[in-house]
Amino acid sequence: MDNTQTPKKLDKKTLSKSFHLWFWGALTCFSQEHMQTFGYLCSMLPVLKKLYPEHKDQENAIKAYTAFFNTNPMLGSVIIGITTSMEEARANGKGIDGETINDMRAGLMGPVAGIGDSLIDGTLIPILLGISLGMSQNGSPVGAIFYIIVWTLLAYFGQKFLFFRGYELGDKAVSFLVGKQGAAVRRAVGIVGGMVVGGVLASWVNVQTSLKLYNSNGKAFLDLQKQLDSIFPGLLTVVVTLFCWWLMSKKHVSAIWTMIILVVISFIGVLCGFFNPGLSY
Amino acid sequence: MTINLFQAAILGLFACLCSNSCMAGQAVGNYTIGRPLVGGLVCGLVLGDLKLGIACGVAMQLVYIALVTPGGTVSADVRAISYIGIPLAMVAITSQGLAPLGTSAANLAKSVGTLVGTVGTVMYYAVATLNLVWQSFGWKDVENGKLDKLYGVNFGWPWISHILFSFLPTMLFTYFGSTAVTALRNALPMNGIPMKTLFTVGGMLPCVGIAILLRQIVNKTADFIPFLVGFTLCASLSLNLVSVTVVSLLFAIVMYEIEMSKGTKTVAASGEDDFDDDEEEDI
Repeated sequence: MDNTQTPKKLDKKTLSKSFHLWFWGALTCFSQEHMQTFGYLCSMLPVLKKLYPEHKDQENAIKAYTAFFNTNPMLGSVIIGITTSMEEARANGKGIDGETINDMRAGLMGPVAGIGDSLIDGTLIPILLGISLGMSQNGSPVGAIFYIIVWTLLAYFGQKFLFFRGYELGDKAVSFLVGKQGAAVRRAVGIVGGMVVGGVLASWVNVQTSLKLYNSNGKAFLDLQKQLDSIFPGLLTVVVTLFCWWLMSKKHVSAIWTMIILVVISFIGVLCGFFNPGLSY
Repeated sequence: MTINLFQAAILGLFACLCSNSCMAGQAVGNYTIGRPLVGGLVCGLVLGDLKLGIACGVAMQLVYIALVTPGGTVSADVRAISYIGIPLAMVAITSQGLAPLGTSAANLAKSVGTLVGTVGTVMYYAVATLNLVWQSFGWKDVENGKLDKLYGVNFGWPWISHILFSFLPTMLFTYFGSTAVTALRNALPMNGIPMKTLFTVGGMLPCVGIAILLRQIVNKTADFIPFLVGFTLCASLSLNLVSVTVVSLLFAIVMYEIEMSKGTKTVAASGEDDFDDDEEEDI
């Protein structure tokens, strides 16, 4: 350990450059084999250049980031933040080596992907989109513009906040992410997600049957849709959705095949008069 | 409605910016420009029918409200949905003479969008595969210590993948596709079986999107309850989405408190009996 020189410190400008490289470039050079690896390499470059004046040291340091990396890019910015602080500690000779940094990265990308996909893609965005769709229902651009502004601000400042929190907390951030409080927050947000998804389904999707049985006078004695609505409004919509869920999660049918199965069901339904969109020129 | 070469080229440029691996960054590219709702705004402006564009965007956004891409696997490609699907749906709706804001227009848009989006995954995998070439350049640069060249690998070369597999296909599909869509109108009458099926499927497709979301949320059977409560609040009590969100926050707070107090009990219990911490957590 060499404590004769002043400890190296990352300034705000370098960190901000690193963040912006991740924000704009996390997935620009994506391949199935390396996924976000190159986005990560690029965002670490300014940090390495700042910490290691010698080119040779930069070359050695970057080796820690050549391993495969893939996570939820939004929440993932916290991982970049954490590694910048660990890299700073390594440059100051605080007993951290490339392997420690890599273990941390590899250990975090899975949980962060899971949390990020369910919190951001699975909860936050559907809520935001659900509200925006309502505003654009009559063909007005307000909803789309609302989404653009709110989401871009949330994504930019949210990711920036996560990045800098990651840098400040360093490896201490890990305990929050996979700790008890983190789990409680996830459970709570899961409730919001579940209810909102149910609400989105009820507000926007409406599967209806046109099946009616007529008696000899030509009067309908059975209007199936009315019967179903008197049991539970929107019953068919829920049934079709749960059927799709069952196919995909219990029978491991892919989304594309589920859609093809729906095509077959619709075709049969149209043939026997169960479904009829009732259109003509 | 027709699409000229210049309009097709603009749509092609937007296609490069979005998708899952995109040139405008994840947050702005994939999550903003790529969303069908935003794509509807862009296509509406480019093709000169804002109302119809938004209506198509709203319809398709419903199908893809949950575009989660776990582990980089995609079942539909947003650049194809938003910048090929929406323009073609707009042409189809105009040529069928449907009311832009009607249910039938929306269902037609959903069918067209889903078809194009599913086929469009080819574009996604093509770009990702060609990127391997630029990445091999990158590995050489790392080896030889030419670190500055990595910026080019990440931000420059992938443009070539996108020009080949995003820009050109989008431009050609929208330019020639609009003529094909108009011709198709005469071949398939609206009250025939194929069109009826297409519209029925269009009405059901959002269920797949919601089911994908449910897969994320539901781990055990009891997790269906919040979903069904939310559905009932909207379907039976006619609350809107903001109201449902507010109601759900109450349950979220209760859940948070329960989860947190659960934790402290375990700690207290482990203090009384001299059990191992790990064993306590298992209980």
